[in-house]
Amino acid sequence: MLITGIKSKPVYAPLQTDTRGRYHLMLAMGAGAAPLLRVIAEMRVVAGPSLKNTRVLFVSDAAAPEVEQFKAATVADLQTFPSTPALLERFRAILQKSLMGTRLYVAGPESFIGLAMKIALEFNLNKDEIRAEECGTLARRVYCIHCRATTEDVRTNIVSCIGCGRWLLVRDHYSRRLAAYMGVMVDAEAPGELPPLKEVFL
Amino acid sequence: MNDAQTITVEVIGVEQVTPLIKHFKLAPAAGGSLPVFSGGSHIIVVMQGAGRVHKNPYSLLGSPLALDTYEIGVRRMEESRGGSHFMHDAVEVGSRLEIAHPVNLFGLDKIARKHVLIAGGIGITPFLAQLEDLHGGSVPYELHYSVRSSEHAAFLQRLQRREGERLHVYYDSEGQTIAFETLLATQPLGTHVYVCGPVGMIKHVIATAQSCGWPDSHIHWEQFSAPPVGDAFEVFLARSKLSVHVPPDQSLLESIEAAGVEVPYLCRGGVCGFCHTRVLELDGELVHNDHFLSEADKAKAKSIMPCVSRANCKRLVLDL
Amino acid sequence: MSAVFKPEETFRGDFNYSNSPQAVRRFPLPFAEDNYMYSVNIEPHLPGPLGSVTEFAFDVDEHYVAECRERAIVLATEPLRYQAMPHMMSSQWDCLELIMESLAHDYPAHFSLAKQGNRWHWINRPLEIDQHFTFGDTATLPREPLDYITRQAQGDFVVMDQREGDLWCEAGMVTTQADWSLDFDLGMTFKEWHGPVPLAHELQVFDRALKFLLNLRLGQPVRRLNWTMTINPRLDTSPENYPQWGTDRAAVTAQNAGDLVHLRVELQGLWRLPRSNAVVFGIRCYLISLRQLATVPKWARRVHRVLKDLHPALVDYKGLTRYRDAAVQWLAPFDDGSPTTSGTAPE
Repeated sequence: MLITGIKSKPVYAPLQTDTRGRYHLMLAMGAGAAPLLRVIAEMRVVAGPSLKNTRVLFVSDAAAPEVEQFKAATVADLQTFPSTPALLERFRAILQKSLMGTRLYVAGPESFIGLAMKIALEFNLNKDEIRAEECGTLARRVYCIHCRATTEDVRTNIVSCIGCGRWLLVRDHYSRRLAAYMGVMVDAEAPGELPPLKEVFL
Repeated sequence: MNDAQTITVEVIGVEQVTPLIKHFKLAPAAGGSLPVFSGGSHIIVVMQGAGRVHKNPYSLLGSPLALDTYEIGVRRMEESRGGSHFMHDAVEVGSRLEIAHPVNLFGLDKIARKHVLIAGGIGITPFLAQLEDLHGGSVPYELHYSVRSSEHAAFLQRLQRREGERLHVYYDSEGQTIAFETLLATQPLGTHVYVCGPVGMIKHVIATAQSCGWPDSHIHWEQFSAPPVGDAFEVFLARSKLSVHVPPDQSLLESIEAAGVEVPYLCRGGVCGFCHTRVLELDGELVHNDHFLSEADKAKAKSIMPCVSRANCKRLVLDL
Repeated sequence: MSAVFKPEETFRGDFNYSNSPQAVRRFPLPFAEDNYMYSVNIEPHLPGPLGSVTEFAFDVDEHYVAECRERAIVLATEPLRYQAMPHMMSSQWDCLELIMESLAHDYPAHFSLAKQGNRWHWINRPLEIDQHFTFGDTATLPREPLDYITRQAQGDFVVMDQREGDLWCEAGMVTTQADWSLDFDLGMTFKEWHGPVPLAHELQVFDRALKFLLNLRLGQPVRRLNWTMTINPRLDTSPENYPQWGTDRAAVTAQNAGDLVHLRVELQGLWRLPRSNAVVFGIRCYLISLRQLATVPKWARRVHRVLKDLHPALVDYKGLTRYRDAAVQWLAPFDDGSPTTSGTAPE
């Protein structure tokens, strides 16, 4: 069974401004602030001091140093959220009122990117409207193919499913619809025969 | 396409709907029903003209639910090499034609959250069939239809009856123009725009949408180019070991076919890329008239779409 | 072939399954040569020889009734093995029409379809179904159209929407699969869906196949064969139920391989659908034990050689690692080293 090298695994690239976009909607979590600040600096070279069509949603403590950096970068519309679900709820409400010409930038851990992309899909945002840069933890969301439960924050090669308790092998096969990797029972052929537990998604 | 799989149809209705456009109704000569199709599909009509065969693409404009006939609209082209003139002058009720199975290169995006359809003149035809699918559905849409003047507004009554305020008509004669910038700058996320009409209009819509920030995946267009006339030239087909003369008023593809060599194609209008052919040798220049190859590929002169493109050359060798 | 149905057959539990001698002779061997590697082996789905599995668009064979019952068993506990995204409804009707028309035309003794405008009357005699419904009106069928008709067909079906120059796996009935999950793969592009297949991406098999399928024409379906191996005649080798069938693989020995190990061949057919412009991908599964396969001497020699020299990445992907050697050992006595004729015919 192919574990790595599967072509459905998303490929990320360092964020760059999409100058063809008219509105720029940016989401970040944790270390994702840095790539956004870099892109905003790029934009200001072209757009000048005011970035009126740029919005930033940031999962962070309101007192985090990055908040001041965003303010210093003259982002007119900056909102901070205590949690990813809170940010995503606001994100969805914004998309409902957004216009064609909007570009989405997402920076943060892959699990955060995946959840944002899942919502973007519902609004028919295509690949040429979304840019994402992975930074921070590589921890994965893992969908158990046997019981359909999703185990969050998986850092190890195998994981005990939060739903059925089976030990799952984490494969590189990725579903954008589920925003998760596939987990498949690791000892189905020889019960109890588990590979050593290793931290691989740090 | 394989010509063996054409369907013989009989013309059962011809109506001059505008000074330049005729509306044809085609029924299967053998009786029964014609193949089911999806809105935006076209058929290739094969016409046996005097001494030569014309094969032109026409969009199906009737309802995909009414399969006892196909309907097409044919505009008389000023610089026609014969196809549209043949349809206008030689085809009448009772005439028989061969058609190929429908192909759809201009389908609606099924997960779009809204559709904006923009038609210029004869470009209304593919939308007439698509509207049959959109009508009564849950996805919002609007149609913007630009014509020279009221006498040139083909199929207007049919549209007005069905579409009500979703239809916006613009008459050049009264100085009315589509406000593309306003239209495209105010569409909700997830909208797709579709344009069919004169090449200038298509280019303008694409450029305006892009300047409003639309990504290419939401912009759809279709324009079948009629193969332009040009100077005569010679072509050598390397694999067939055949020399073929291409006269001024015949396309490269038609000339190759007349020499008995089959080239796969779908649209015959420079759109689909199916007849893409490698150029092995060239002494001169290619005249690219297609919408398929990128500008960079056109400049490389290593390939050609023989359905609409030609050459000004002393020697041209193709991988056929 | 005028099949005599074997409704008592099972694909689980006691595995009461075999091929009749006629079914062995028509088994679609996927190896035209003594070795195997991926290729874009797509050919027009034209009617094959009388009695062959490609004589008709959809092959109905002696296992029909039992396979339909097996599908119902799977769906009773796992309804998500059938899924369709909301924008796929027109393609569902396309599929229903394609399957009903083909079966009624090709097997008039078993199926009939009468139409009066949109009012259709469908009779499936082997399954004792008699259904009046209005084409296009889902409320007149007991289930969604694709669900309804594929419960009366052998093999899996996946429907792919075409947009953005790609094919998207967005509806399907998948209960007889070789270790892939519709539930997980729903919504994927053609290449994402085939992501777990090794080597083929590097050989650009999927680039070429996608380009070909995007231009698939109405009325000009195509087909190809694919294969793997399965322990026991088990149709449902889904990842969902891997905990139930995974241990089977460890039970194979050189002594029992002839009865346990089955060659699993997929006859894959692809059709452009007219109303939706979607593409339906039919994946029909044929199973034969090595013991039955070896009744054809040429096939025994060939399969022995193919398995012995199979690329390690394919051995892993097809899940053969634990028992490939046992299967090769079991087949070895049938291979005297004499040449095989080219092509797949039994000789």
